[in-house]
Amino acid sequence: MSLWVGFSDGLDRVLAWADGHLVGRSGRPEGGRRAALCLLAPTLLLLGVFGVAPIVSTVLLSLFDLRYGNGAFAGLGNYQEALQSSAFWNSVRVTAWYLVGVVPTTIGLGFVVAWGLMHVTRGRTLFRTLYFLPYITSAYAAALVWRALLNPQGGLANGLLEWIGLPTQQWLLEPRGLLHVVTGGAVAADMGPSLALCCVMAFDIWHGLGFTVVILLAGLSAIPQELEDAARIDGAGVLQVIRHVTLPLLTPTLYFLLLIGTISGFQAFNSFYALTQSGGNTLGTTENLVIYLFANFYDNGRWGYGAAIATLLLVAIIALALVQARFARRWVHYS
Amino acid sequence: MLTRSFIGLSLLGGLIAGCNPTPSSSGDFQPLSTDQVVFWDRQTTETAQLLQRITDEFNDSQEGLPVRIETTGNYGEIYRKVMASIQARQLPAMAVSYESMTAQYAASGAVVPLDGFVSAASGGLSPEELADFFPAVLESNYYSDYDGQLLSFPFSKSVLMLYANHRVLRLAGIEAPPRTWEEFLQQCRTIREKTGKPAYAISVDCSTISGMIFSMGGELVVDGVFQYDQPAARQAFGLLETLMEEELAYQIQARTFDDEVAFARDDVAFTIRTSAGSANMAVAMGGKNDDWSMNPLPQQNLDRPATILFGPNITIFKTGAEQERVAWAFTRHFTSVPVMTEWALATGYLPIRKSVADDPRMQAYWDAWPSNKVPYDCLVFAKTEPNLRGWQEIRSLVEKAESAVLAGLKSAEEATKELQVEAQATLARAQQ
Amino acid sequence: MKRALAYMVLTLGALLVIYPFIWMVGTAFKTLPESMGGSLSPLPQTWQWGNLSATLQAAPFGRYFFNSMVVGITVGLCVVLTSLLAGYAFARFSFRGRGVLFGLVLATMMVPFEITFIPNFVVITRLGWYNSYAALIVPWCANAFGIFLVRQAFLSLPEAYYDAAVLDGCGPLRFLRHIGASMVKPTLVTVFLFAFLGSYNALLWPLVVTSDPSMGVVQVGLASFVLDSGVRLNLLMCASAFVIVPSILLFLVTQRYFETGALGSGLKE
Repeated sequence: MSLWVGFSDGLDRVLAWADGHLVGRSGRPEGGRRAALCLLAPTLLLLGVFGVAPIVSTVLLSLFDLRYGNGAFAGLGNYQEALQSSAFWNSVRVTAWYLVGVVPTTIGLGFVVAWGLMHVTRGRTLFRTLYFLPYITSAYAAALVWRALLNPQGGLANGLLEWIGLPTQQWLLEPRGLLHVVTGGAVAADMGPSLALCCVMAFDIWHGLGFTVVILLAGLSAIPQELEDAARIDGAGVLQVIRHVTLPLLTPTLYFLLLIGTISGFQAFNSFYALTQSGGNTLGTTENLVIYLFANFYDNGRWGYGAAIATLLLVAIIALALVQARFARRWVHYS
Repeated sequence: MLTRSFIGLSLLGGLIAGCNPTPSSSGDFQPLSTDQVVFWDRQTTETAQLLQRITDEFNDSQEGLPVRIETTGNYGEIYRKVMASIQARQLPAMAVSYESMTAQYAASGAVVPLDGFVSAASGGLSPEELADFFPAVLESNYYSDYDGQLLSFPFSKSVLMLYANHRVLRLAGIEAPPRTWEEFLQQCRTIREKTGKPAYAISVDCSTISGMIFSMGGELVVDGVFQYDQPAARQAFGLLETLMEEELAYQIQARTFDDEVAFARDDVAFTIRTSAGSANMAVAMGGKNDDWSMNPLPQQNLDRPATILFGPNITIFKTGAEQERVAWAFTRHFTSVPVMTEWALATGYLPIRKSVADDPRMQAYWDAWPSNKVPYDCLVFAKTEPNLRGWQEIRSLVEKAESAVLAGLKSAEEATKELQVEAQATLARAQQ
Repeated sequence: MKRALAYMVLTLGALLVIYPFIWMVGTAFKTLPESMGGSLSPLPQTWQWGNLSATLQAAPFGRYFFNSMVVGITVGLCVVLTSLLAGYAFARFSFRGRGVLFGLVLATMMVPFEITFIPNFVVITRLGWYNSYAALIVPWCANAFGIFLVRQAFLSLPEAYYDAAVLDGCGPLRFLRHIGASMVKPTLVTVFLFAFLGSYNALLWPLVVTSDPSMGVVQVGLASFVLDSGVRLNLLMCASAFVIVPSILLFLVTQRYFETGALGSGLKE
């Protein structure tokens, strides 16, 4: 105990000394730069070496035409090839469908669950834990379970369909579009995401729900109860309260989830790989950008080309993040 | 200043890490350990224990550095690890690999050619010993892209077999499994008629297609020209098309063992799988009994049978003379007749040397259950897939074509024609 | 009425969400043929309690758990420390290039791991850290997501706190230590949880930087049930089920912090 007190005092004295150098006569931190350097140094070192350096070396790699370890400088050749490749644009399309399907749905469902959790008194801990379970399971093990449930022969999903009287489906093997399957062929098979892709999306929504709920719970609990009560007293119904009081105050959290969701959506890999391998079985309808990158990088040994795709991916994420930031000014309300 | 130093630091780190996009050739790889010969392998649980025992025996019998086995994931993960290690210029002495992986390692200059070891006066393989290996087992380890050098050595091989569920066959009134593709199709129809269920569970896999093409009398590639638009390939894809149209078969999920499960539950009569799966199948079927059997692939022409051989090999890396010497000695020990026999008996992988037939333990094993000998008998007419550069990419093309036909999105005609064009183009691009 | 509706929706949702887990636990105690058999019932006909010991014996899980916990907790604590310092710096100090630097920090989240692990592996090897705890821990000690969260938390603290501290003659570092850190404690707990989970559930990195069995982590243990010739599905499910337990326990301990205005009331630019 006294050891801790001694350490605590010593630390305090060190900090006070450091502060003395950082604070000017006005009392405000002086020369933000020096102080910031001290605070940021360890982080920047780590991120520099393990976070930024790989990006740099990847970009360097993309300028070479590496096949199977050997290759010459190729300038922008890899980028040219990517932008002209139909397989590349297919992977872009798959990624786009995935983002559109997963991000809003996870946030929407997460809101419903979080709102519900705020308004129940008993069993809160139990519910929270249950909804969080998928997020803390290893994606690999969870995918095995889903594959068993979605097995076209003998899986629960088809069992349910049979019980209801609907035709059974191929689920993770179905390259035809969801719309095509649901409308019995009225919509062309290659319009929209394939059924297999939709299964992967469902998995990721299930997996990511817990994370979204936790963040939304924090955001919701920061909204003062008085505001909601006041609106209720004024005669507003539940939905009106949500629309006019809760959601506007929640916009910063929603924006945060949108941004994080987009960034991780672009990088989705584990679920795709565990559920459908490299997408060959589904004729490329579950081959998103990272799977495409992976197949080229590892299966085909084309390191330069794979690195170029990774760089294009990075550029796309940054572009989309900037666009979202620009739009954010319009709909995000700060308190 | 802060930002600039951060950027500078990152660039420095990036250059250190990535400064070798085109690694140079020989000599500058470090071994993982200087007092052990490390072998990256894939086996787990019981087979790992057996391998460990074999290794311990080897270590006791020799004076050099001891061999140490490290289990490091599945083949894909081992491959990624080796590729990363090549970049870091620190490698194990040897690792299990498929031919396409060895070709990539060789392109990075990391692989030791084994011809010298084999033909060495002491510690090598005499011509008689070499001839004792089945030809197909060695042939895929010679790489035409690298002047025909021997760049890897066989480790655990298996052949493609037709598994037949006799309970279902008996239900359908069929006496014996089919020996030709004609009979196969007929039997599928009969089974469908009598049981109302599909007869065959299809696992999408390039090697299965390759095996079918071989057994239909065709080749995969001749003098650098792919043969996917030739009759044998057309026939293979055509058979799949027919099976799906007449609802005689269905497709299982990628890289699962659902077909074995269906087989064990009498939901299908046939599955075409590697002989290495027999141990698993035995568990599912309640033992090696007369409810099921392993048969050679159905053939087009029974006078000229053919099937496919596959399985991983050992690749030895340039990690210094002593490490390489011990690695080769271990490889030689592992593929010697007594060790091979023990390995084959315990794991179900094939004994790759002809003279194992003389070992009484082997004979007892063959007598115990008729199907035990069948894979061995197939070795004599087994062929391998090409180990050309670009083959890995072409495998995915074949699987895409197969999936398209099975899903009914392309006809066999269309699919093979397109596949031929794509495969040839991919080969051309990879050979540049 | 509203309460009842909420309960109904939540319960229904929860059942849907945890059905796969019921299946997982049920399959964990089936025999191998039964587990692969695809029967519609998630629960076994007879519970094979022996699967538990079979699973534990298949790989050195004791050692794996120890390693995973050591690594996970260390990573969690380090991430909390670096995120605290960096988040505070980005929130309260102004310096030229701050925006660009923060953007760079965020960019580290934007590249897929499948590619970035190779340069990281090269650095680890050059440092001689192969097969060591350092390799498992150090690359993960700074985390852009954590910095993001902490920065946001500090931004949403009212100015009044800082002003009061200055009046008291408290410099920025002592402010951080005595007041700031405890003001954002809920955020720090959240950061710890996510950092731990990220480390605990990682498979590829531990697989790549270690090969010695004494350095393996639990995820590697899971992989040992996937054989060449088949998957021991029942044992794999059993292993997966008890691998989750530490994460659940950690969540139970930390989850009460999520509802105390953990992330502040706003995202300020």
